[in-house]
Amino acid sequence: MGTRILTVEDDERIRSAVKLALEDEGWIVDEAATGEEALERFGANPSDVVLIDIMLPGIDGFEVCRSIRRTSDVPIVMVTARADTHDVVAGLEAGADDYLTKPFAPKELSARIRALLRRVRTADPASPHIRIGDLEITPDDGLVTKRGEQVHVTKTEFRLLVELASSMGRVFSREVLLERIWGYGYFGDGRLVDVHIRRLRTKIEDDPANPRHVITVRGLGYKLQP
Amino acid sequence: MTLAFGLGALLISVALSTSTWAFTRQTQLKQREGDQMNTAVRNARVVRGTLTGGSRPEKMRDFLAALPTGALSSVVREQVSTSPEPPTTSSNPAVGPFEDLPESLRSTVGAGSAAKMHFRADDVPYLGIGIPIPSVDAEYYEILDLAELEHSLERLAVYLTTATVLASAAGASVGWWASRRTLAPLREVSEAAEAIAGGFLDTRLEAEHDPDLAILVSSFNEMAQALQQRVERDARFASDVSHELRSPLMTLAASAEVLHTRREELPERSRSALDLLIEDVERFQELVSDLLEISRFDSGAADLQLEPVVLSEFLRQAVRHTSHRHVPVISSPNSDDLVVAIDKRRMAQVVANLLNNAARYANGASAVVVQYRPDEAEVDVIVEDEGPGVDPAEQTLIFERFARGRSAGARGSDGGSGLGLALVSEHVRLHGGRVRVENRMNTASNPAERDNEVKPAVDADVDSALDTEAAVVTGARFVVVLPVREIAESDYPEGLDT
Repeated sequence: MGTRILTVEDDERIRSAVKLALEDEGWIVDEAATGEEALERFGANPSDVVLIDIMLPGIDGFEVCRSIRRTSDVPIVMVTARADTHDVVAGLEAGADDYLTKPFAPKELSARIRALLRRVRTADPASPHIRIGDLEITPDDGLVTKRGEQVHVTKTEFRLLVELASSMGRVFSREVLLERIWGYGYFGDGRLVDVHIRRLRTKIEDDPANPRHVITVRGLGYKLQP
Repeated sequence: MTLAFGLGALLISVALSTSTWAFTRQTQLKQREGDQMNTAVRNARVVRGTLTGGSRPEKMRDFLAALPTGALSSVVREQVSTSPEPPTTSSNPAVGPFEDLPESLRSTVGAGSAAKMHFRADDVPYLGIGIPIPSVDAEYYEILDLAELEHSLERLAVYLTTATVLASAAGASVGWWASRRTLAPLREVSEAAEAIAGGFLDTRLEAEHDPDLAILVSSFNEMAQALQQRVERDARFASDVSHELRSPLMTLAASAEVLHTRREELPERSRSALDLLIEDVERFQELVSDLLEISRFDSGAADLQLEPVVLSEFLRQAVRHTSHRHVPVISSPNSDDLVVAIDKRRMAQVVANLLNNAARYANGASAVVVQYRPDEAEVDVIVEDEGPGVDPAEQTLIFERFARGRSAGARGSDGGSGLGLALVSEHVRLHGGRVRVENRMNTASNPAERDNEVKPAVDADVDSALDTEAAVVTGARFVVVLPVREIAESDYPEGLDT
């Protein structure tokens, strides 16, 4: 079964061209011209990846992203106009996993998607659960619970957590995390890591402003402590 | 202006003073003279009356002294024509012998004409009046002391001079004050105009109390406002246009990729056309991207996201990230571990653009060299090549937008957007640095060695002077100079967790 991508783009020529290119890459492409249409389609038939242009008529891309996030942890890639405005952070805060600036090469998009769909590191059979304070992480199931209750995290947030937990107490630099989780090299955008860490803290920490587990080590990166 | 007022006041007061003084002197003297003349004539008549008839006062001197006159001395000479030494009587013998009177006065009177004359004796001014009395063969003289008059005139001169000086000083002060009032605001206006010309479009003048100047200020501010809006609108236009171009470019890029996948299926000619298409779509994308980048500088929206990096390591990564991966990065021993706060995205673009430029015009860059100069707190990042160098006349021009050197020739297949070096300049300037290009000459040693080599300067000069071979350009060197400062804890991005 092939991987299905939902593209949400109001410009029909872009939509058609991108569909052609992505299909060449082996993806199955569903299309939506508006945010409303996108939510309808996704609701009826959830895809494996969603690509959203932030500039949409009607409800904007951020809103679509937030709506999808209420019920799904599917990888979402935002298409933004500029790289250095707060659009990027806003998109990430709304729940996106990564972003691309228009115009992008469809090949580049494929690379991003492949990185986001990477499987989580499988657990060590001897210890299938990782315990951190009140949290319990089960990598094989993709499950995180806090005091017994399931915490809903996106696939990317989960992979980030598992990566940090793989070497408890070790400091991971942004560059390393960008490479492992997102497949970027030295010049990846550090904001991807920063916003995901923030999102993670909001979900698993008792007091996100004063984190106990997900710690920033200034000048070096991030680490996880029990 | 001060000078004008001062000079004006000076001239006017000098004119007034001198004319006043001259006039006063003239009238005073004339008056004295006139009065004295009348008196002398009257007295001469009295003397004539007394001497007529042969009777002569016994005490001539007392008689003379009794005559009503303001003169210092009255003198009578008798038997002037008959006696070789006419007896002379003076009412005031202290004044001096008759011979002290000027020769010309005596001879004129002796010739039969009344005369008056100013003269000085022992540095005292006198007025001498002489009246011949032929009917009794006598001459009557009066000698007037003008010292007091002279003193008065001198005092007057002193007062007038003082007044002139004061008036001039007052004039100069008025001038200075007026110039401050009028010129200072004008200077402010010209400074504001300079600031605006320099790019600070939000410069405005403060409100003025003086109604005359208030109009100037408000007109200036209105003009500045209109100018700023116009410039911002223009800057936004370039940005908006480029922004709009993104969408069609997206379609072009995606479609080109689809066609490229099927390139082998295409007939020969279609394949060639496709290759051309794809190349120019890429060029188009680059141009739009560069235009958007540069318009952010114009609209003042460019900001710096600084991050401390080990510079030499950063440069290695940046080079590897480009299509010129094999250009070596050489750092001088003191630059190896140097940590600098830079905007990674911008500096990566600087490196890429300089390498692309070298590839385009000089057969590729030969090295990227890092040299730290701790004394000036600066570090040089130098992209060197072994190409034809850059004509000194063009070394500033090439950093301008869309400037292409004469050596560039026709726009080749790998012609850039024309903004590459302009962007380098803007990015570097945003960091507080600067960039320049210079030619490498065959007389210079390898720059990476230069640091460690102690070159005896004298020998070098002598050598090059004796060089029969002309200095030859062996390549170009693009030098990016960045300021280096202490890295503080706060320089490290803290993420977005606060």
